[in-house]
Amino acid sequence: MSIYKHHYRVYTGRVTPIWTRIFALARYGLAEAWSTKITTVLFVICLIPPVGSLFTIYLSNNPAARLLMGNVGTRVLAIDGSFFLRVLTIQSWLAMALASWIAPRLITLDLVDNALPILLSHSISRFGYVLGKYAALFATLSTVTWVPCLLLFAYQGYASPVPWAASNLRIGVGMLAGALIWIALISLLGLALSSWVKWRAVATGIIFAVILVPAGVGAIVTGVLHTKWGFLLNVPVMMSFLWERLLGVHSRIDNALQLPTRAIVTMLALACCLSMVMLNTRIRAREVVRG
Amino acid sequence: MGTVELDALEVRLGGRTILNGLSGVLRGQAIGLLGPNGAGKSTLINTLLGFHRASSGTARIFDLDTYRDRAEIRSGIGYMPEGDSFIGNMSGVHFVRYMAELAGLPSAEALERAHEALFYVGLGEVRYRKVNSYSLGMKQLIKLAQALAHGPRLLILDEPTNGLDPIARQRMIHLIQEIRKEGSVRLLISSHLLRDIDETCDEVLILKSGRIAALCNIEEERRSNHSFMELETVGATEKFSVSIRGLGCECASFSGGRIKLVLPENIEARDLYRIASEQKVQIRRMHVRRDSLEDIFLRAMDTEGERPAHVHL
Repeated sequence: MSIYKHHYRVYTGRVTPIWTRIFALARYGLAEAWSTKITTVLFVICLIPPVGSLFTIYLSNNPAARLLMGNVGTRVLAIDGSFFLRVLTIQSWLAMALASWIAPRLITLDLVDNALPILLSHSISRFGYVLGKYAALFATLSTVTWVPCLLLFAYQGYASPVPWAASNLRIGVGMLAGALIWIALISLLGLALSSWVKWRAVATGIIFAVILVPAGVGAIVTGVLHTKWGFLLNVPVMMSFLWERLLGVHSRIDNALQLPTRAIVTMLALACCLSMVMLNTRIRAREVVRG
Repeated sequence: MGTVELDALEVRLGGRTILNGLSGVLRGQAIGLLGPNGAGKSTLINTLLGFHRASSGTARIFDLDTYRDRAEIRSGIGYMPEGDSFIGNMSGVHFVRYMAELAGLPSAEALERAHEALFYVGLGEVRYRKVNSYSLGMKQLIKLAQALAHGPRLLILDEPTNGLDPIARQRMIHLIQEIRKEGSVRLLISSHLLRDIDETCDEVLILKSGRIAALCNIEEERRSNHSFMELETVGATEKFSVSIRGLGCECASFSGGRIKLVLPENIEARDLYRIASEQKVQIRRMHVRRDSLEDIFLRAMDTEGERPAHVHL
């Protein structure tokens, strides 16, 4: 089988190990996700806040530059847990926007044209398929969450005139853990919801709706019933609590309204499990051609 | 070792028994899988691909268990599903390359093989077009290209001529015959079109209601059956019939000088001409008819006193 001699030719070359084929899925997923200019625009927008934060850290550690800028007060430019919490929060929500755009591109195209029977007839399990798509999403979201956060942390450690990084290591570890939890949640949620919706634009809207609508319901429950447990439906509030605790930042919300960490983790784990069940159900139903 | 070995294979889905105690060894270079709709052809293919687990019994491909060793088996299989199954947003060459990489080819080799496979099936000129812009025939061909690109040991084709016009069908059949002739790839072709199987396969497995109705080598089956002959004669037909019975032929006479007979191995047509000449009988028409796949299929379906549904020639 060659271009000039159109006959069939047996392949006798090297074959890649089975476990590496997940990376092929991830690579083609990434290529698909980045094939549109909107992804690039969103990605650039996601990098604007870290650039601003970098400038803030520079100013904070450089009195001469502060003078040139009109002697901005050191309190405004305090680089501490609260500063990094703000950076992490902003980046996480921008990552959410990016995920809601990319996740449908990764999975709906396979489902719309019924590609799963062909994809899964190769040495790829359902788990491997989801892992490949997840890896593509994880790689993209990492570049706008924990990677810039840790780079800022490292720069602060480098720029600070006093030893800073070692005494604030918890902030760095907290940002990494907080970002990874958030990526896991929104990736699984994004993939699961995308697998159930045929149209990409609708899938993007639904991903936002699934986060924001229960948050509104949770706020109503909290307000009407005067109970903190309504926050269990409120992903933004739950994540704020979790990030504050991970970074060791004192919360501005009253202690009586604080949710126990165990309850937050359980709720997030439940959301992830539900997403996996949804994904498995959908993929299992579409992996074979019914005859 | 056969290509496919089935040992009391039973598959239950949704509480229903779809495949019921299938046993047999398929050794042919090209195995046809025949049966009316709902006979269990697609379920058998999905079981062989490791999508379904056997409720009892086993199915093996190249001596590997289809469920336990499915990752290894799938590496050596090229699968062309029945319906539309592709990524429409990708160009043809991109799609085939992607599938080849999933089958284990390194990236550069996958690209090279993708180009070759597309030229081989006749899509070379349209390989940079998006798959969703292809015609139905082209979509069938790209499914064949992706199944071939990684050089599988076994090619499973599920209704390969589905929805094709006569020219495209002929091209598909020709490609399958060529692959079969090349010899390095075993083929398992599922179809409800007897003609497709007849033209491409040397062995046939006929399913009916989840059971094996027949498993035979098509050529051997044809050879083992007698040759039927139909004659149209003018003259002393009755006397002529008696004479050819004397040669050892089973023979029946009909009005209008028509005679149907079964020719034994040692008797040839020239013997009939000789007797006809001696008795001044004119043989106006002689039609030799061997068992067709249709006869084999109908016999298999008749074993339980039913006629097949949705089988077209």
